[in-house]
Amino acid sequence: MTRAGGGVALRYAPAILLGRAARVAARLRKPGGGSAVPGLVVNRIAPGFLPSVLRGFRDGLVVVTGSSGKSTTTKMLVALLEAHGRRVFTNPSTANISQGLSSALLERVRLNGTIDADLAVLEMDEGHGALIAPRLSPRLVVLTNVMTDQIDRFFDSERVVALLRKIADRATEAVVSNGDDAMLEELVAELPAGVRVERFGVSAGVLAEQPRGLGSTRTSASRVSHGTRVEAARGRTATIEVGGTALTVTLPARGVHYAVDAAAAMAAARELLGEAFDPELAAETIATLAPVFARGEITTVRGAQGGAVEVEFVLVQNPASFQLNVDALDAGIDQVLVAMGSDVRDPGYFWPVDVRRIGRARIVSGSKASELALLLAYQGVEIDALEPDIPTAIDAFLALPEPASGLKTIIFTADPMRRTRAHLGLRS
Amino acid sequence: MRAILQFFPQRLDVNGDAQNALVLAQRARWAGIDVDLVAVLPGDRPPAEAPAAIVIGSSVDSELPALRAELVGFATALSDWVAAGVPLLAVGTGFELLSHGIQLGTAAADFIEGFGVFPGRAQPLPARASGELVADVREGRIVGFENHARGFVVPDDASAFGAVVRGTGNDSRSEGSRTGSAIGTHLHGPVLAKNPVLADAMLTAAFGDRYGADSHEATRVDSFAAAARGAILAQLDLPIG
Repeated sequence: MTRAGGGVALRYAPAILLGRAARVAARLRKPGGGSAVPGLVVNRIAPGFLPSVLRGFRDGLVVVTGSSGKSTTTKMLVALLEAHGRRVFTNPSTANISQGLSSALLERVRLNGTIDADLAVLEMDEGHGALIAPRLSPRLVVLTNVMTDQIDRFFDSERVVALLRKIADRATEAVVSNGDDAMLEELVAELPAGVRVERFGVSAGVLAEQPRGLGSTRTSASRVSHGTRVEAARGRTATIEVGGTALTVTLPARGVHYAVDAAAAMAAARELLGEAFDPELAAETIATLAPVFARGEITTVRGAQGGAVEVEFVLVQNPASFQLNVDALDAGIDQVLVAMGSDVRDPGYFWPVDVRRIGRARIVSGSKASELALLLAYQGVEIDALEPDIPTAIDAFLALPEPASGLKTIIFTADPMRRTRAHLGLRS
Repeated sequence: MRAILQFFPQRLDVNGDAQNALVLAQRARWAGIDVDLVAVLPGDRPPAEAPAAIVIGSSVDSELPALRAELVGFATALSDWVAAGVPLLAVGTGFELLSHGIQLGTAAADFIEGFGVFPGRAQPLPARASGELVADVREGRIVGFENHARGFVVPDDASAFGAVVRGTGNDSRSEGSRTGSAIGTHLHGPVLAKNPVLADAMLTAAFGDRYGADSHEATRVDSFAAAARGAILAQLDLPIG
């Protein structure tokens, strides 16, 4: 691979310096904020900056995309590659748009336009990914699934597939794809000749245990036979077969979707590392991962009286993840707070979710609390209190006596999650 | 026990529209009326006994031909039931297929014939309509979410479901269609939960004086609905009604 000569790449130096200045200015205005602004500045001044830097990695670029599971899969793949000694550049999952990505690159880029890492693993949502894909040449693209998701922007699954196709078509070596997703199977069947397709998926037994399937818009008729396959998933323990070796993997949190994400990451790591891939090391690495964001994260926070309280955070971002997470709740769970915020434009979208397992919600919160309360109440979930204000709701919830069974559990969408973390002084 | 029919919940619940049948069933139960919430599946035969109420939700566009094929066997029964005064709520593509038809593109061949319960036809909008939709209908001011690429041409204003206050609906002026006991609308999702006045009108049409909306449960849930509507209207800077 030829690397861009310094003379060529240095043309971005002024833009890089300006972007950094914008970053400093943004931070001065709003501490901790303004993460997309510097990228915006650079993209405006030097639109070629992003593709140019992303072409400069010795071992190439990997793009992870799909409707859900992107963040977890990306984090797992990065950890696997790092465990195998690779230096990886990745984007923070909150910055999966081109401005955010350029901002993240600015943090690390040298003035000659290169980054001190062997390869880049980037999470991209299908919309922005498809927009910048024509200017990228990823070595490998990972496709997680197609869910009827993000109604505001894409509406139906066909449009999601069309966007994913734009990204997958750019793969130069291989596409790692979910073999249980019928729409992805149709997509990979039409990839250009010469691009390898590696599949991951679950066994027939694992699929049969999911009362509502795995959340894909359409599930393939048959299970993957060649590839990386989840053979069993119980609580936080999964058995994943990788290249003929059955591995016992401890997942970062409960739920078969984490097992599928781990299978995706392992299939991608194996594809990238070839002979160097060490299955045992991979299993150990996954076991040491902290949960991505808040999904299933158990943490100890200060209670209203200053005492320590253990809570479980469950982040739900679409109906499929809401359903999977509700199904994974312990039966008879005692204390649950559910919150929906301004990130959900159309709460009606969540009505197909069967929420009855929640049983009783101590508090319903967030700016969309009343709409969420309607959904819960019509399915017979008891509601003790409605408190749209997150800090007030969180304080009242933490002040409840120790739960009779299970942990205090907070199920929230992205906006109340950020407000909760900010209120509790947790890193986000 | 009277049935509340929920059509093809696997295909017609993309936006939670099919759950309006749950809303009707729960409100009837809270009023002390025994009802069966019955999911109608493709290939089923229409029940011999007329149902208490019918809910037909919306599919994604690519499933329109399949949905039409599955509805064919119910077309006569649906027309008969509406003629007999059975309340029906149809949303999105379900509404469109019960009209005279759907103009998909500009070519004459891009037309899907409907079942003719509602007068008028669906045709493409200049741009996708996505956001809050507020309309004034006979029962009052109703609020919901719309997300569709086609509008609807009504033969006359009298056959529209209501007048648009905010959003697009049929054509930024009128919204949906009403014929006898049948309502067709672009309001996705749990429109009956958010606007209990509509649910109560349907249940009164179904059960007459036996139905009352003053149960403890309905009162509590309707306070959530009032708060949700209030928040949306306040955000749009609109009066409550």
